[in-house]
Amino acid sequence: MSTITIAWIALPFFVGFVAYLFPKLDRYLALGVALVSGAYASLLFAASPLTLELLDSFGVTLIADQLSGYFILTNALVTAAVILYCWHSGKSAFFYAQTIILHGSVNAAFICADFISLYVALEVIGIAAFLLIAYPRSDRSIWVGLRYLFVSNTAMLFYLVGAVLVYQVHHSFSFAGLRGAPTEALALIFLGLLTKGGIFVSGLWLPLTHSESETPVSAMLSGVVVKAGIYPLVRCALLLEEVDPIVRIFGVGTALLGVSYAVFEKDTKRLLAFSTVSQLGFILAAPGVGGFYALTHGLVKSALFLIAGVLPSRNFKELQHQPIATSIWIALVMASFSISGFPMLSGFGAKVLTTKNLLPWQTIAMNVAAVGTAIAFAKFIFLPHEKQESRENIRRGFWSAIVLLIGGLMVANVVYYEAYTLENIVKPLAIVGAGWLAYFAIFRRAALKLPRVLEEFEHLIGVMSLMLILLFWMVWTRSGI
Amino acid sequence: MLEACVLATILCGFFGIIFKKNLVMKIVSMDVMSTGVIAYYVLIASRNGLFAPIISDAENVTYADPVPQAVILTAIVIGFSIQALMLVGVMKLARDNPTLESNEIEKNNTP
Repeated sequence: MSTITIAWIALPFFVGFVAYLFPKLDRYLALGVALVSGAYASLLFAASPLTLELLDSFGVTLIADQLSGYFILTNALVTAAVILYCWHSGKSAFFYAQTIILHGSVNAAFICADFISLYVALEVIGIAAFLLIAYPRSDRSIWVGLRYLFVSNTAMLFYLVGAVLVYQVHHSFSFAGLRGAPTEALALIFLGLLTKGGIFVSGLWLPLTHSESETPVSAMLSGVVVKAGIYPLVRCALLLEEVDPIVRIFGVGTALLGVSYAVFEKDTKRLLAFSTVSQLGFILAAPGVGGFYALTHGLVKSALFLIAGVLPSRNFKELQHQPIATSIWIALVMASFSISGFPMLSGFGAKVLTTKNLLPWQTIAMNVAAVGTAIAFAKFIFLPHEKQESRENIRRGFWSAIVLLIGGLMVANVVYYEAYTLENIVKPLAIVGAGWLAYFAIFRRAALKLPRVLEEFEHLIGVMSLMLILLFWMVWTRSGI
Repeated sequence: MLEACVLATILCGFFGIIFKKNLVMKIVSMDVMSTGVIAYYVLIASRNGLFAPIISDAENVTYADPVPQAVILTAIVIGFSIQALMLVGVMKLARDNPTLESNEIEKNNTP
């Protein structure tokens, strides 16, 4: 098993460069890598947890268990769907090579259990994501990519300082070393991870980056790449019970923040990006079952981004007057139902499972966030639609990608089929109903435009220092650590 | 004392990123910040000794810890490749925004 693991980690990087040498094979190689990851993830569900320590205690530590299995499966499915979507689009070998490398580095982030391997994985993710965002080579895409790279690199510098402080105490970089590490180490490391993962106010770089990228890149970024910052937080929360409350607090905070922006948003892709900010909160709010939620969210969000890419407009006002094809509308409604937690799709199971694992103080806030999600996605569900015959404008790969993602959502119901009891079904229906009611009563006509001042570049960097102080204070006050 | 200087370097770099208007200067500030971080790693590595950890005939010398040095070498490589990448991006942006003021670029390129 350990040999398979190492071979599987190295494979994408090797194949990524081979794809350059054989540009004709690029799509097949990329799809192959995604399938291998999928197979490996299913192996993880069957096998017992594996801990690898390469090169003594200060070397590389890897942990592969069910939690990483969920994240890796998400990565495999989303990458496969994105490649299918791009199949006939004539993208160059460069695009596919970067996709493979991004896939590989995200995989590496999902399996490592020490701070330095994680640092390397996150930085490679940053570079590959930048190259993908800047692929159209327009001024705007370069600026958006540059902004992303700048924010993530600055955050990672803070993270590095935190990592060496952990090393100073334990002579080891492994996650377990957070126990007994000084307060500032925890604060610095969490600042890096929260920024990279797009959590709370330090995650406000995310909406612009995810909404201004090309459709397949947005799907990839929102579906899996941000989760590379989330996974280590979940892992740390599971390893150390002292960290758990901090992660939960940030989960609740970001769920409410994201959703309060999302309900007022007038632009489809920005709405989806803000909903990512809030959904990541659901993963963090109950770290023990976060893996399943991450899987369902990754599938549904990349499906939604791909669908938003074929809608005739990005503005909800225009979409209200411009009916969309019924077939697209059905896919859109299925995805929106899943993310609002409507029974039948696995978003429901994930939401029930998360709700069951919340602490009492979280329950009200998370239910408010769930209602908010239902309000935001009511905007998609109640779009006008009509039967249209001409479908030339839809990419040929679109339907295969959507079938893969929505099919995955249906199959994933197996994971938690116990959710289907009467009591469990009534509550999400009530939440969705309340959301729709609020949508028709208030938000359908609400014209409030939230200021975007916090999303300006300099504020993004400045907010990091505030977050650092906040984190320091939080760790300090619960100073069992 | 040395630690205070190193931390001051990191902070100088950080404030440079915020207060400098020119995009190239921002990138240089980020470089200053990462230099500070590298120096911090070297400082921590040399807490127990200054000698390079190489097997030799000398006896009882106090070795510097090789692990942080090895680790920071990776970080240096990553850091400068990211900076190179950013500078290429800035070169492309400079064609349409010759002054490279970040506020202007941001205003032109945000919807």
